[in-house]
Amino acid sequence: MSQLSTLSDAELVQRCREGNTDAWNELVERFSRYVYAVCTRGYRLSEEDADDVFQEVFTRVFTHLDTLRNDAALRPWIAQLTRRLCLDSITKRGREQATDEPMAEELAADLAEIDEAFTVREALATLSDTCQEMLDRFFARDQSYRTISDELDLPSGTVASRIARCLSKLRTELEGRNEGPRGSRG
Amino acid sequence: METEDYLDLRIDEFLDRLAEGGRAPGGGSAAALAVAFAAGLVAMVARCSRGSWEDAAGVAAQSLAIKERAAQLARTDADAWQQASAALGEAGADGDAEGRDRELEQKLGHAAAVPLEIAELGADAAALAALVGEYCEGAYRADAAAAAALASGGASAAAHLVQVNLTVQEGDERLKRARASEQAAAESAKRTLASIR
Repeated sequence: MSQLSTLSDAELVQRCREGNTDAWNELVERFSRYVYAVCTRGYRLSEEDADDVFQEVFTRVFTHLDTLRNDAALRPWIAQLTRRLCLDSITKRGREQATDEPMAEELAADLAEIDEAFTVREALATLSDTCQEMLDRFFARDQSYRTISDELDLPSGTVASRIARCLSKLRTELEGRNEGPRGSRG
Repeated sequence: METEDYLDLRIDEFLDRLAEGGRAPGGGSAAALAVAFAAGLVAMVARCSRGSWEDAAGVAAQSLAIKERAAQLARTDADAWQQASAALGEAGADGDAEGRDRELEQKLGHAAAVPLEIAELGADAAALAALVGEYCEGAYRADAAAAAALASGGASAAAHLVQVNLTVQEGDERLKRARASEQAAAESAKRTLASIR
């Protein structure tokens, strides 16, 4: 994990403004999946349209970063920009409401789910590598305690407790996300 | 060939299906649901102990994940078993015998993989039951013990289904894993039941 990946959004924006290319790459890396998910899962854009929106979003972020008034509000800003450009894309295509086009309620639920998933992902990134690894193995890869214990060389009886503690740290991180800068990696 | 989704049935309807004369649901589905019930109980005990145990929420979250996985396997196991049974039935038919053998082996292999997963989930549910049995509020210890016993039963039943699968021979890695899960679940249950009498 690079040092830049542990920076808060506001700190990252600051580095980008200073012309730090690595910081810009980190910004794109941090938000690329989010933008793409909003385009494809939220607005159900085709791959081609999603690519166009993706390019346009980051071009505008790059050129308008100085206009961002609250550096910590980077994600809401990117989210709003992405949504607007997705709607522009749909309008430009002149499509009638297709059957697979999301209805407003469904769209709002999908976008909320995407936002939640990315909030969790960001919070996860602040945990220790071991915690990230254990949570990923148990919840995303459906691995058993025995497999986790064998592969991470941990005493088998402690895996469940360790995962519980990692979840507790994740929860604390999620609850405190809007109350200040990113916490230390626990 | 697909079975109905048992999770959409009422409990009495599922039990009626289980008692009917068809191939599925059978032992694998029942074992999966026993593990799911155990995990559900563990989640309940953990949630009821949040006031006195700081890891309770994290243990409940893990139990819920195991409950979901095990419950889904009730249907997956029935599908796998039905497909393997159908392939077994066609084994002696005329035509491409080699192709049919390959298909049979692949389907039987899948029919062993599902109970193996159930056995491993049973071991995990039993480990969580032991953990909640140790740290939960006193009023819920008996439920933790019940969860451990159910999880161990499910793991044992599933391990047996791996053992009797036609593709599994003594010394097979799948059988070793299934037996290890069965044993781990039994030890967790024994410990939990002994501490709560």
